Amino acid sequence: VIDCDVHCAPASLDALAPYLDPYWLEYARNAGVQLHGLANAYPPVARTAPVPAAVEALEPAVLGRADVEHVILTCPALFEVHRNPYYAAALATAVNEWLRHEWLDRDERLRASIAVSVSAPDLAVEEIERLAGDERFVQVLLPVRAEAPYGNRRYHELLRAAARHGLVVGVHAWGGIGAAALPGGKVHSYLEDYLGNHVTVQSQLLSLVSEGLFVEIPDLRVCLLECGFAWLPALLWRFDKDWKGLWPEIPWVTEPPSSYVRRHVRATTSPAPLAADSDESRAFLELLDAELLVYASDYPNVHGVDPETIETLLGDAAPAVLADNARSLYRRLASVVP
Amino acid sequence: VKAGARHAVGRLAEFPQGRIRLVDVDGRSIGIANAGDTVYAVLNVCPHELAPVCEGALGGTMLPSTQGDADYGLEGRILRCPWHGYEYDLADGGRAAFTSFRGRVRLFDVTVEDGTVFVDVPRRRVRDT
Repeated sequence: VIDCDVHCAPASLDALAPYLDPYWLEYARNAGVQLHGLANAYPPVARTAPVPAAVEALEPAVLGRADVEHVILTCPALFEVHRNPYYAAALATAVNEWLRHEWLDRDERLRASIAVSVSAPDLAVEEIERLAGDERFVQVLLPVRAEAPYGNRRYHELLRAAARHGLVVGVHAWGGIGAAALPGGKVHSYLEDYLGNHVTVQSQLLSLVSEGLFVEIPDLRVCLLECGFAWLPALLWRFDKDWKGLWPEIPWVTEPPSSYVRRHVRATTSPAPLAADSDESRAFLELLDAELLVYASDYPNVHGVDPETIETLLGDAAPAVLADNARSLYRRLASVVP
Repeated sequence: VKAGARHAVGRLAEFPQGRIRLVDVDGRSIGIANAGDTVYAVLNVCPHELAPVCEGALGGTMLPSTQGDADYGLEGRILRCPWHGYEYDLADGGRAAFTSFRGRVRLFDVTVEDGTVFVDVPRRRVRDT
């Protein structure tokens, strides 16, 4: 099993102190800036454990599984601090060093996503270049809610840098402070906030395909993390259909949009809109094509399906979803790490 | 005019260059498109959803290119359906241009003699019942 989305976050700013420039430590303390651990992304009654702050917290639920080959960590600690691009860049560096020393060095099955300052794409490129030599980083982490869709020109160098180094671009649920939960604007209920991830991610996918990123950067690979996948069949069908008449507006997209998605994009199995074992679930998975899915526990959140359920539902196709699809998506997993 | 033969549909001067004009041949609606060096005769039915395709515009289209290139071409040979914007290349057998749609508009042979436009329209098959 390759688990493509497991959360971790420093328990507090103090945990990052060894890796954060004193200037920014002072800035954060004086300004009362908090880290975002995603623990607060779920209501108090939600079926979720605290976000792991140390590698021991992944035992036994994640690393305790005998069949776990790799676990890809996503640390969303920056998701609420993107308003200050310079602080976010310094914090990204601190988070990445924290990941290296306190996670990656402690269990050789662990891999990680590079945290970056999304509101300063040039600084994000610098951080990607700084860490590209460490093969244990397999992904660049971007929040699904951004200041502009990721197909926008301002992000091209960032996406190019990731592709150049064989890093997957992980677009993860939730996002920067000030970025609306829904493409239509800001909302005030948690329900809309939570479901908004599944809606906003569709606009990101439309943007990446329509702006021709997969044509311009043939090595670009994108993983949609914790944003669902039930919406894919309907969106891709309509996308292909309307492209047939409207393609002259985007003449660089020379193939049906869904073919780029099939080649370049995968989505995690969590959250899953699947009943544990039902004919409806099977019918839906046939419609979707399980080739698009990579397994993720989304630990510590509980809104997905476990590997056993995937085996029951998918049968012969289960190994692809549980590991093979991830292995071909995250090409860095094949690297020999000393 | 008789079916299954050459039909005179008018003087060339009656079909302005760069435009498509509808004529009736043996009860069939056919668009005569004057592309300058070539005249096309197109059955007025879109293979996509059976729209009156010849009520659309004759022009060019965006060529596959990278963003920012803004490359326009095939001027005068692209017929654009008014319903869904499907585009057909009249100089390429009426095939849909640059998309995965495999349909094509139906073209008839055209000849111009002494300033008169003739269209070859096969006789319609009539069922015996």
